[in-house]
Amino acid sequence: MTTEAASREFRDVVLPHLDEGYRLAKWLSGSGADADDIVQEAAMRALAALEGATPLKPRAWWLAVVRNAALTWMGRNRPKALSFVADLDEDAAVDAPDPEAALISRDEGERVRRAIASLPSPLRETLVLREIEDLDYRAIAEATEAPIGTVMSRLARARAALAKRLGKDS
Amino acid sequence: MSDEASPLRAHLALDGELDASQRLAFEEELRRSPELAAEFERLRALRRTIREHAPREAAPEALRARIEALAAPSPPRAAPPPARIPPRWPAMAAGLAVAAALAGYGAGRAGGGDPELAALVAGYQRAALSGQPIDVASSDRHTVKPWLTARAPLGALVLDLADDGFPLIGGRIDILDARPVPTLVYRRREHLISVAELPLASAGGGSATLDGYHVVRWRDRERAYVAISDLDADELQTFAADFVKRTPP
Repeated sequence: MTTEAASREFRDVVLPHLDEGYRLAKWLSGSGADADDIVQEAAMRALAALEGATPLKPRAWWLAVVRNAALTWMGRNRPKALSFVADLDEDAAVDAPDPEAALISRDEGERVRRAIASLPSPLRETLVLREIEDLDYRAIAEATEAPIGTVMSRLARARAALAKRLGKDS
Repeated sequence: MSDEASPLRAHLALDGELDASQRLAFEEELRRSPELAAEFERLRALRRTIREHAPREAAPEALRARIEALAAPSPPRAAPPPARIPPRWPAMAAGLAVAAALAGYGAGRAGGGDPELAALVAGYQRAALSGQPIDVASSDRHTVKPWLTARAPLGALVLDLADDGFPLIGGRIDILDARPVPTLVYRRREHLISVAELPLASAGGGSATLDGYHVVRWRDRERAYVAISDLDADELQTFAADFVKRTPP
């Protein structure tokens, strides 16, 4: 049974940031249908967690819930796509040739989307939270459960990789 | 960053993460160092490209509607009405514990003037007459449950009652007040039994007969249930009792 207090928290914390949660889930899973399932799952978790609790930083908290739901969901349904734990391979993956680079798209939006999508997950989520959702370093550190130094280095590497990919076929 | 020579300082500056004195030092360095100025300009150009071109789509309307339904305030919980056990219950000696459980969650009489009930019975009729009583056919509750959960925000309790003589044959979604209602379908001989699962706010318990169909309603801690069937009334009561018995505490 959901209490009135939990419903109210949920309306204050989750609903204003639903779009961001959906976008993050979509960037992480690569699919709108998957993002749908992930956000639904995250919302159920959030509702349960908001029973008698108020997050200090609602937006970062909700995005962390979405991210964790995405991790669980991807592990269960798309285990091969999951590279969150592959921190050691981050640089290798960045330097590897981009299989999509040969596809020249006239659509700049599609080109940017592909370039971001081809980043390894830890770099991708960090970049998306900074450049698209406009979170500051501290909020990104909270949402991705990473030390702030890691956030900074991931962001720098993500930008370097992205500049390279976007420059390559422009 | 206290380290002025941090290789990340251009990123920090771009992201507004430098304090005033660091920012001042950075701007002085920008004037002195063409390399740093070029790097900073590249970063700014990259940001412009991303912000102008990366997709920023909103959550789909259907998803938003489902999530908003989750946040709908539960109506104030009325004290359960005084338990009035329908006359049939005492006859079910074996079901006494169950009767107590049902009564504990508030049993009352659901009447024919209830539009919600009429809509559910109409749904049952339609499904039974169309020869298409289910949207997902499976006797495996692990198949039926995710199917229903994906379509109804509150999920569904799906029980296997085959051992009680009521095999699960599948599930469907009924629509009530524009809300999806997960509905289980069981079979007893040639009869079908629908169990609609509603939010707790839905009224009451008890039994009724509507358009020749028997209806038994009950609730647990999480949901209200409405079983509808063309089975005879006693057998439907037995079904309800078995369902309650197998409901996890």
